[in-house]
Amino acid sequence: MTESSFHYVTYIGAAPEAVWAALTSPEAMETYFFALPFEADWKVGGHWRRSYPDGALMTEGEILELDRPNRLVMSWRHGDPEKRREGVSRCVMELEAVGAATELAVTHSIETENSRLIASASGAWPQVLSNLKSFMESGEIVLRHYHS
Amino acid sequence: MTEGRFVYVTYINTTPRKLWDAMMSPEFMKQYFFGVTFDTDWKPGSDWRMIHTDGDVTDAGQIIEFNPPSKLELSWRHEMSPEAKAEGYGRCRMEVEPAGEAAKLTITHWSEVENSRMIAAVSGGWPQIISNLKSLIETGKVVLARF
Repeated sequence: MTESSFHYVTYIGAAPEAVWAALTSPEAMETYFFALPFEADWKVGGHWRRSYPDGALMTEGEILELDRPNRLVMSWRHGDPEKRREGVSRCVMELEAVGAATELAVTHSIETENSRLIASASGAWPQVLSNLKSFMESGEIVLRHYHS
Repeated sequence: MTEGRFVYVTYINTTPRKLWDAMMSPEFMKQYFFGVTFDTDWKPGSDWRMIHTDGDVTDAGQIIEFNPPSKLELSWRHEMSPEAKAEGYGRCRMEVEPAGEAAKLTITHWSEVENSRMIAAVSGGWPQIISNLKSLIETGKVVLARF
């Protein structure tokens, strides 16, 4: 099976409940996710959407699994025509307690080789997750703007 | 040829110079790198060894490039098992660049061996070590006390 996949693990000095709360909170995302408007209907089958500042669609999908605070799975597709053509990707977030910290593992994949969607996500995730970690541990984000 | 590769990127709230100095400091290393010391003079062509608190040498190689505060490149052999040792030397490159007001650290680790044991080992290690380095610089404490 051909696939493109991005996998990233980080350790955050907070309990899984707190990390889960930040990952599912539009208010928290205003800090670590570049203030991009986000809304979601947090239930299995619910729709989620992330917009550009002007309201245009950036990404959207469905909540596939919601097992608080350990496993969040979402379908994920792009508003960008070129990346939208690739179809639906899958983003899995796994949270596990490690002492007083959380091991957060993100796996973002699509059943296409050389996926532009995954290439773009591979550049974005380390920025978003670095911001999340810094915000949770020190109260400050690292990057105010997305760094392409 | 299927190349095994592990890439890890993080952004840290400090300058590239401070990140480099923290990363290379033996005192900091003892904290973020789980008590490890690097036995080397960092000169290109010199040997290096990673020595753990129990005296074990788990990894070793040669310094390929040493360019503060931007680039460090090493040949790298994982030595924890005969199979790992038999893989020979892969490469590890660490790059520090500015990113806005912060610093971006990129670690690229690669091997010519398919299903490399070295790549599997470092893939588990780097996220822990680098998470610790980031927390230590930004908050004064590591996030993980033990590997």
